Amino acid sequence: MRKFITLVLGVTALALPIVDAFAAAKAQATVPKKKVITVSKTFTGAIAQTDRWGDMQVRIVVRKTTTIVIKTKKKTVTRKLISVKAPVSPNHTDRSIYINEQALPTLIQEALQAQSSGVDMVSGATDSSIAFQTSLQSAILQAKAW
Amino acid sequence: MPRVDDRLPGGRWVEQIMGLPILVDVRDDVDEDQVSELFDWFRHVDRAFSTYIDDSEISRLNRGELDLDDADPEVCSVLARCDELREETDGYFDVRAAAAETIDPSGLVKGWSVDRAALIAERHGWRNYAINAGGDMRLHGSALPDASWRVGIQHPTLRQKIAGVVRTNDLAVATSGNYARGEHVFDPHTHQPPTGVFSVTITGPVLATADAYATAALAMGTAGSAWTARLASYEAMTILADETVLFTPGFPRAA
Repeated sequence: MRKFITLVLGVTALALPIVDAFAAAKAQATVPKKKVITVSKTFTGAIAQTDRWGDMQVRIVVRKTTTIVIKTKKKTVTRKLISVKAPVSPNHTDRSIYINEQALPTLIQEALQAQSSGVDMVSGATDSSIAFQTSLQSAILQAKAW
Repeated sequence: MPRVDDRLPGGRWVEQIMGLPILVDVRDDVDEDQVSELFDWFRHVDRAFSTYIDDSEISRLNRGELDLDDADPEVCSVLARCDELREETDGYFDVRAAAAETIDPSGLVKGWSVDRAALIAERHGWRNYAINAGGDMRLHGSALPDASWRVGIQHPTLRQKIAGVVRTNDLAVATSGNYARGEHVFDPHTHQPPTGVFSVTITGPVLATADAYATAALAMGTAGSAWTARLASYEAMTILADETVLFTPGFPRAA
């Protein structure tokens, strides 16, 4: 394919005076077929309440790409979800951690830990998810109307 | 089917179905049509099983408009499994517990639908994937470029923290907790919510079973952890309200 294009260009260049070929190439370069506009915007979901963890509010970033075909003026809009974040300020205090001396024979007993190491998924009861999805849904609805 | 754009291999898609955020994380290059098939499956399940949809099979069964003999074979098999699990859990997992004469199998349907979605994924030859329905999930292969999947267990009081990590290459993980308002776990025998337990996480080969066991063990209250020690093929992590954590010896904890 590349060979073919090179060949065609070569033939064209040979057929035309060198100055005209340059002008034609320049003219072609300044008349694009499509216009692409990309913008990103952050949407903040409604505040949803959880029992223990206080308020949950989801923030999403959406990238909107508008492609306009110059000739037909046909416009296509795509919206892509770039990121989902749930910044939360917990409204409770840490309780003291202690170890229960009464161990069960077949189970390994430990004190509750609070880790923050990177994981791929989190398994938990669904309250946070319900609040999360309520907030997420409202953010997505805003983005759809954008 | 919104896709999350990031730099990881494969793709991540999230959609809300059955009142839950469903997340599909695939670390292989997959055809997006195959991902659509998974989400279509969850929507089909919602239409058949939702107690919120008037003409779902479950709603029609509950109103007496549909006879169990005429119900979809899938609906029958799910309800049969619910009955088995009620026996296995001494009645602590009971889909008829919420109200007499009505059935709400959503406690099993969530896990069952993910198990079936994993079969679709296997049929398409996916090797490295996770399917997560509202915090209960199946994981297979690894979270490439990492060598395994790492699943955090939600800390019961600190929202942004985790209480432990499960590391796996092929497992179902389910957590039931009464630290969250969204869960309505109560002891079917006393009709009271359990006390003394924050959450129970169960890992094992089948998510529907793991989820039912987690719900049952939580409903048992402080007696639940001893019950989990007797389970075959399933491991448990119980977080008590006094902030003691109890693990069965084979629980797949990350080092």
